[in-house]
Amino acid sequence: MKKGPTIFGRRKRFALFLGLLLVVVPRAVWATQVHAEPEGLYAHQLAHAFFLVSMGILVYWLRERHLTQHRGWRYLQYAAIFFILWNLDTMFVHHLEGREDLFLTFSKGTLQAALQPFPGREWLTWAFYLGKMDHLLCVPAILFLYLSLRELIRTGYRFPRSENG
Amino acid sequence: MQLPFWPVLLVDLLGSALMIVFSILCVRLSFQLRSQDRENVVWTYLLMVSHALTAFAVSRGVGHIAKELLILGDRPDIWAALRPYSGSINTITFCVVGAVTLFFERIWRVYQQVLRDKEALQEAHEKLLFMNKHLEDLVLERTQELARSEGKYRRIFEVSRDMIAVVDAGGTLLDINPAGREMLGIPHHLTGRESALPDFGSFFARREDWDRLRERILRDCYVSDAEVDLVAADGREVNVLLSAASECEVSRKTEIFHFVVKDISQRKAMQQQLLQADKLASIGQLAAGIAHEINNPLGIILGYTQLLIREEPEGTERYEDLKTIERHSRTCKTIVEDLLSFSRRAHTKKETASLHETIEEVLSVVRHNLELDQIQVEKDFDPAVPLLVLDKDKMRQVFMNLIMNAKQAIGKDGWIRVETRFDPGRRQIRVAVRDNGCGIKPGDLPRIFDPFFTTKGTGEGTGLGLSVSYGIVKNHAGDILVESQVGEGSTFTVVLPVENEDEENAGT
Ligand SMILES: Nc1ncnc2c1ncn2[C@@H]1O[C@H](COP(=O)(O)OP(=O)(O)OP(=O)(O)O)[C@@H](O)[C@H]1O
Ligand SMILES: [Mg+2]
Repeated sequence: MKKGPTIFGRRKRFALFLGLLLVVVPRAVWATQVHAEPEGLYAHQLAHAFFLVSMGILVYWLRERHLTQHRGWRYLQYAAIFFILWNLDTMFVHHLEGREDLFLTFSKGTLQAALQPFPGREWLTWAFYLGKMDHLLCVPAILFLYLSLRELIRTGYRFPRSENG
Repeated sequence: MQLPFWPVLLVDLLGSALMIVFSILCVRLSFQLRSQDRENVVWTYLLMVSHALTAFAVSRGVGHIAKELLILGDRPDIWAALRPYSGSINTITFCVVGAVTLFFERIWRVYQQVLRDKEALQEAHEKLLFMNKHLEDLVLERTQELARSEGKYRRIFEVSRDMIAVVDAGGTLLDINPAGREMLGIPHHLTGRESALPDFGSFFARREDWDRLRERILRDCYVSDAEVDLVAADGREVNVLLSAASECEVSRKTEIFHFVVKDISQRKAMQQQLLQADKLASIGQLAAGIAHEINNPLGIILGYTQLLIREEPEGTERYEDLKTIERHSRTCKTIVEDLLSFSRRAHTKKETASLHETIEEVLSVVRHNLELDQIQVEKDFDPAVPLLVLDKDKMRQVFMNLIMNAKQAIGKDGWIRVETRFDPGRRQIRVAVRDNGCGIKPGDLPRIFDPFFTTKGTGEGTGLGLSVSYGIVKNHAGDILVESQVGEGSTFTVVLPVENEDEENAGT
C-alpha cells in the first residue's frame, strides 16, 4: 500500500471539494434571501458534508481492505452507504427549506398541515416532501450498523494476523 | 394538489424513536465487542462511532420529537428556544462521527504495526524461552558432535602409519601418534601433557637440518616433502620424507607446527639395491666379454705349458718354471670361469636337489679346516625346507664362498651359524650364514658385491667371491642380503624362491 495514500488523498480532496460545492451552491441561492444569521445553517451543512465524506472514505477503506467479504463488515458498509444517502437527502432538504417560492403551507403546526406547490414547482415539492422523510434512510443505516456489530460479535471476528496494510 | 404533512410527522416521530433505540443497542453491542478483545483499537473505534451516533440520534430524535410535539401542542416559542441547541448538538455529533472515521484509517495502520511488533516480540520471546530451555540440550548436542568429530580425527591420528606430530615453535613435542613413537623410539608412557616428551629437534641427525626447517616453516608457513635423516632414541637412523604446516594458536601466542613424517628408509634401501644391481649387471657384461676372449688364449697357454712339462724331466729348473706358469694359468682360468659364472654366461645344469645336503657337503669339506682355527659350526635347519631345482655345483660354490669369508673374518676362535628357514607364505627359503667376525664397515657395505673389491691382502683374496655368488643366486632368481655390525659379526642371507609346488616335499 505504497501508492495508496496518494490516491486516497486525491480522492479525499475530491470528495471534500464536492461537499464544499454542495454547500456553496445554496449560498448563491440564498444570497437573495434575507437571513439574519446564516452561519448556523452553513456549519450544519458543512458538518453534513464532512459526515458524508468520512462515510465515503469508510466505504472505500472497507472495500480496499477486502473486509467486505465478511458479512459483518459488509453491513457496516451498507450502514455507511445509507448514511451517505441520508446526508445527501438532508442537505438537499435543508437547502430547499429556506426557499419560499416552492409551495404554500397550510394549517402549519397542526395535524392537518399540508403543502400546496406553486404551479411548475410540483416536482421539487414532491422531492422535498419525500426528502423530509429522511428517517427512511437513517433508520436503515443505524439498523445496518446494529446488524454489523451483532454479526461481528456472533462470528467472533478476528483480524488477520498480519495484514499488508 | 395538496400534500398532507402527517406522514412526514409520523415518519419523523417513529424514525426518531427507532434511531434512539438502535443507537443505544449499538452502544451496548460495541461495548460487548470491545470486551471480547480489549486490545483491538478497531473495536474501540466502533464504540466511539456508536457513542457519537447515539448522541446524534438522541439529540436529533429528542429534538424532532420535541419539535413536533411542541408545535402540535402550540408552543412554538419553546421550540424556538430549544432549536439552536438541538441543531448545534446535531452538527457537533456529525463532526465527531466524521472525525473519528477519518482517523479510523490511521488507527488501523497503527494497530497493524502494533500487531506486527507484538508478533515479533512474541517470536523473540519464544525463541529466547526455547533457547533458555534447550540451552543445555544444545550444548550437549554440540559437545557430542564435537566428540564425534574429535574421535574421527583421533582415529586418523592413531592409525596413521606415518608419524603425525604437533610441535611448538621451540621444538617441544606436544603430541605424537603411535606410529611416530615407534619411528622415534619414544616410550608410550611419556605424554606431552607433563612436557616429558623430548625435544623434536633432538631427533634430527644433523641439528642444522632442524634449524633450517624451522626457519622455512616460520617463513613460508609450510614445508612439503623435505628429505631428512632422523635418529631414533635407540640410535636407529631413519630416512624420512617430512611435510609440515604452521598454525598460529592465539591462546598460546606461539606458532604450532604440524608434521607428517613418512619413513622412507626402506624405499631408500631398495633404491640403493637397484642401483647396485644395475652396476653389477653392467660390470658383469664387461667382465663376461673380457673373460670370454681371455678364456681361449688361456686354454692354449695351459695346453702348451702342459705339453712342455711332459717333455721336461722332473726336477730341473725349467720344469719348476713351467709348473709355475701352469699353476698361474690355472688360477687365471679359475678367475675367468668365476667371472663367467658371475655374468651367468656359463652353462648351468639344474636338477632337483636338497639344499640341506648341498650345505652339508660344503661343511664336510671345510669342517677340518675350521676346526684347526677353533671355529665352531652350528646348524639350525628347518625341516620344512622343500627340495629345490638348483645347480648343485654352483650353489656349493656360493656357500663355500660365504663360509670362507666368515672364516676369514673371524680369523681364530669363533663360531659360524648356518640357519635355514622356509616361509610358506612368501614361498621362499632363507639361508643365513652368521659369524662373529670383524664385521663390515658401513662404508664398504655397498661395495662388497663389486667384482675385485676386497679388503684382503694380495694373494689372500681376489674380491670375486661375493660377486660370483651374487651372480649365481640371481641366476636362481634369488637374492643375497647383508647385515653387519663392525666388531660383532655379519649375516649373509641367501633368499631362494620355491618355484614349484611339486618339489614341496621336505628334504634334509
Ligand atoms: N663374513 C664377512 N665378514 C667380514 N667381511 C666380509 C665377510 N664377507 C665378505 N666380507 C668383505 O667383503 C669383501 C669381498 O668379499 P669377497 O668374498 O667378494 O672377496 P674376498 O673374500 O676378499 O676374496 P675371494 O673370496 O675372492 O677370495 C671381503 O674382502 C671382506 O672385506
Ligand atoms: Mg671371499
